[in-house]
Amino acid sequence: MRRLRVLLLKEWRESLRNKMVLFGVTLLPLFFVGISVYMLALGAGIGDPAGAIVLFNTSLMYFLILPTIIPLAIAVYSIVGEKEQTTLEPLLATPISDLELFLGKALASVIPAVLVNWLSFGLFLAATRIVVGAVPLQALTVPWLASIFGLSPLLALFSVGVTMLVSSRASDARAAYQFSSFAILPGLIPLIVYSSRQTLVDLRLVILEGGVLIVASAVVLHLAIRVFRREQILTRWK
Amino acid sequence: MIRTEGLTRRFGSRVAVDGLDLHVPRGEVFGFLGPNGAGKTTTIRMLAALIAPSAGSATVAGQRLGKANREIRRRVGVLTETPGLYRRLSARDNLLFFARLYPVREPERQVERYLRLFELWDRKDEPAGSFSKGMRQKLAIARALLHEPEILFLDEPTAGLDPEAAKTVRELIATLRSKERTIFLCTHNLDEADRLCDRIGLFRTRMLAVGEPAALKEEMYGRRTVVHLASPSPGIELALHLPFVTKVERLEDRLVVTLPDPDAQNPALVRRLVELGAEVRFVNELRVSLEDLYLDLMEGRDAKA
Ligand SMILES: Nc1ncnc2c1ncn2[C@@H]1O[C@H](COP(=O)(O)OP(=O)(O)O)[C@@H](O)[C@H]1O
Ligand SMILES: [Mg+2]
Repeated sequence: MRRLRVLLLKEWRESLRNKMVLFGVTLLPLFFVGISVYMLALGAGIGDPAGAIVLFNTSLMYFLILPTIIPLAIAVYSIVGEKEQTTLEPLLATPISDLELFLGKALASVIPAVLVNWLSFGLFLAATRIVVGAVPLQALTVPWLASIFGLSPLLALFSVGVTMLVSSRASDARAAYQFSSFAILPGLIPLIVYSSRQTLVDLRLVILEGGVLIVASAVVLHLAIRVFRREQILTRWK
Repeated sequence: MIRTEGLTRRFGSRVAVDGLDLHVPRGEVFGFLGPNGAGKTTTIRMLAALIAPSAGSATVAGQRLGKANREIRRRVGVLTETPGLYRRLSARDNLLFFARLYPVREPERQVERYLRLFELWDRKDEPAGSFSKGMRQKLAIARALLHEPEILFLDEPTAGLDPEAAKTVRELIATLRSKERTIFLCTHNLDEADRLCDRIGLFRTRMLAVGEPAALKEEMYGRRTVVHLASPSPGIELALHLPFVTKVERLEDRLVVTLPDPDAQNPALVRRLVELGAEVRFVNELRVSLEDLYLDLMEGRDAKA
């Protein structure tokens, strides 16, 4: 697994020099944080406490959507990039194993996506405090915190699993990207629940979604690893 | 070092490599010659354990293909058809990444050694994307060598380079020759094969001929002596009647004589011509270029006939 670390560092070094990836990873979270804080500030001006809570809950929702979108920006480049630079064949000629390569590619996008998500959550709370004056702590329930901290790694993992599964089968990684956008769907389940209950109060629901995501990710990753074969990706990733 | 038996690869119904039997001993520079689409890259990919053969077997660097693929990858180095470098990473980071994927004991030192050896050290911190084609190719060759492979596969190392860069790369390959290292060089550049290789194989889906360049030419064409005569009498070629001569052709005032051992038989040939009243102006050996051989073989012509 020493090679896994080497591959991860390479992926990140490359991403840091890639404007497209950097924009993809930073712009969207900043946009969401900006919009949320702006809406909260507007809501505070109206002086309707119940309305403010609804707005705050909507904002929290973004931090369940972000972890499914951010990894796509990184994952797709790390596949398209190897293809465009024709670096895949020299890479496959090394003693790296299929599993190491798979995990390297997957974690290279999951880890930063989760960190960026948490970071933007922190930024959101700080900005809310500065701009609006106070964070409505009564709305920041345990189920919300459990979702943002517990579910987002699972959401990112699932999203990347789908991308990897599709791209080791598809001949065009960009088409894989479009398809993988469907991976955002599980992130929306709490949204539906929220909209019917006004706020997220049920920890059992979060645990249930966590369980579903663990099973779904395990299935997707298992399938993705099974189809992730040296020869297949050498002859298809083009 | 490399031994294959009936190595075959099909893509759907198309046969890319058909029943390849090959033996390349340690330390040899073997030239694998063939036109585009001959199956050279497919052969390298099979031997480097990148794609599986459809049939047949091979031993590479002492390891069974299909049984010890990871060990094979550890022991061979591949220069792929396109250099395949990470454009945004520096030359040094490109090499360090690969050095760390192999069991290289001191990656930094090894990378420095090759960057200096290939005269790229001054540009080590520049992104590989800013390099000229020739420099990229050198960097890619360095990458293939970092782990000191027992076998180095080079897939058309000078294709697409300008003549100057091609010369640099060719000179570099010449320096890589060593008793410990086997080099398998794919090319369609005949001059390159003739100059760099101990033996060559002419290949188009199947192996058409294998041997040392000089021996191959001889085998195909025999050795031929050209005798230039001053105004020869007509029909002199028919009057020769020498038992050792296998074939005589008349080309204006020259006779092209095929004979097995020119060093021993040329004096008798000249004596006989003088007897027949010919004035011999000079005698030389007909040199066949590898190109003639290649073209004849590829077009399925039998030059001896
Ligand atoms: N991945 C592949 N899928 C289908 N056909 C292939 C593939 N790779 C090579 N071929 C076919 O196999 C033949 C040999 O190709 P290749 O080994 O690249 O030849 P060369 O390197 O000598 O130019 C060609 O006809 C090519 O079209
Ligand atoms: Mg080729």
